[in-house]
Amino acid sequence: MSAYILPVLFVLLFGWCIYKRINTYDHFVKGAKGAIKLVVDIFPFIASILIAVALLRVSGITDFLAQILSPIFNALGIPTELVELVLLRPFTGSGSYGILENIFESYGADSYISRCACVIMGCSETIFYVATVYISQTKVKKLAYAIPVALVCSLVGTILACLICKVM
Amino acid sequence: MLFSILVLLVVNPSAVLSEMISASTDALELCIELCAVYCVWLGIIELVEVSGLGEKLAKLLRPLIKKVFKVENPETQKLIAMNVSANMLGLGNAATPMGIKAMQALDDGSGKANFAMIMLIVINATSIQLLPTTVIGLRASAGSENPSDIILPTLIVTFITTLLGILLVHAIHKILGLKNKKRKKS
Repeated sequence: MSAYILPVLFVLLFGWCIYKRINTYDHFVKGAKGAIKLVVDIFPFIASILIAVALLRVSGITDFLAQILSPIFNALGIPTELVELVLLRPFTGSGSYGILENIFESYGADSYISRCACVIMGCSETIFYVATVYISQTKVKKLAYAIPVALVCSLVGTILACLICKVM
Repeated sequence: MLFSILVLLVVNPSAVLSEMISASTDALELCIELCAVYCVWLGIIELVEVSGLGEKLAKLLRPLIKKVFKVENPETQKLIAMNVSANMLGLGNAATPMGIKAMQALDDGSGKANFAMIMLIVINATSIQLLPTTVIGLRASAGSENPSDIILPTLIVTFITTLLGILLVHAIHKILGLKNKKRKKS
């Protein structure tokens, strides 16, 4: 079902453009041209954040944190199996998808742990990555309270996810 | 970063440079992939904009955006509207270029993030998900019997966290505003 949504939207969009007598091809090319410049502009920021995350992981700091924090997370109703996912999710998108697949393999895609993990993936975001990339093209140096608020919301979302998957 | 390197100096010093370079290679690979993804999405976005659909979408969401972001500029409202709707469909990669553009439009050059910028980051982080497409796909390929049964829980949770995010940003903004006023008075 969900596989149809995007193609149908695209068909509607192209149809609408033709109806509006817009030079569809030219405008598509014009838009696509911006991609290379955008990627070149954000590359150094993406590289820096990935390097920082890689160092955190190989140095064992994240494992160490997961060990220390798991009793606290357990008290909040978050199972130990999900602590690594919760900790790494704000930093890395591809990394957290890797962990998600591991969870599917170890516990089965329909288990409570896996369903929790899915909802956690939905309600959280690679916050540090998004924040870095979004402000990379502005003069902003200080993000004030944006990151703490975003992290608090994700944590609340994680706790809710673990609760809601028990009943639904 | 410094702390991790310090720890690694003790544990495994030879891994430092190779890890950094391998992460940077990952970044380059990711960027090439992103470049392809952005090509498609920026093309589509351009069409959405010139055909006037962006304007229509912005009009639909304008009252909401005005309330939540306190942004008056119609061009910026349009960018925010497109960013938020792409996020709702689970299209994080399509949302990024518009998010960057919106941030540039919101930038006041002061070097500090203003209210609307903070709100945009928080909303992107908590974003309501109507269709968590990637996760459903992964779950289906892992052999789930009903991969889409997480849509409703995800929707409920993200709705609550987004609401919480908006309320928190507004509350903190108000508290800081009061403090500044007091400081000016005294």
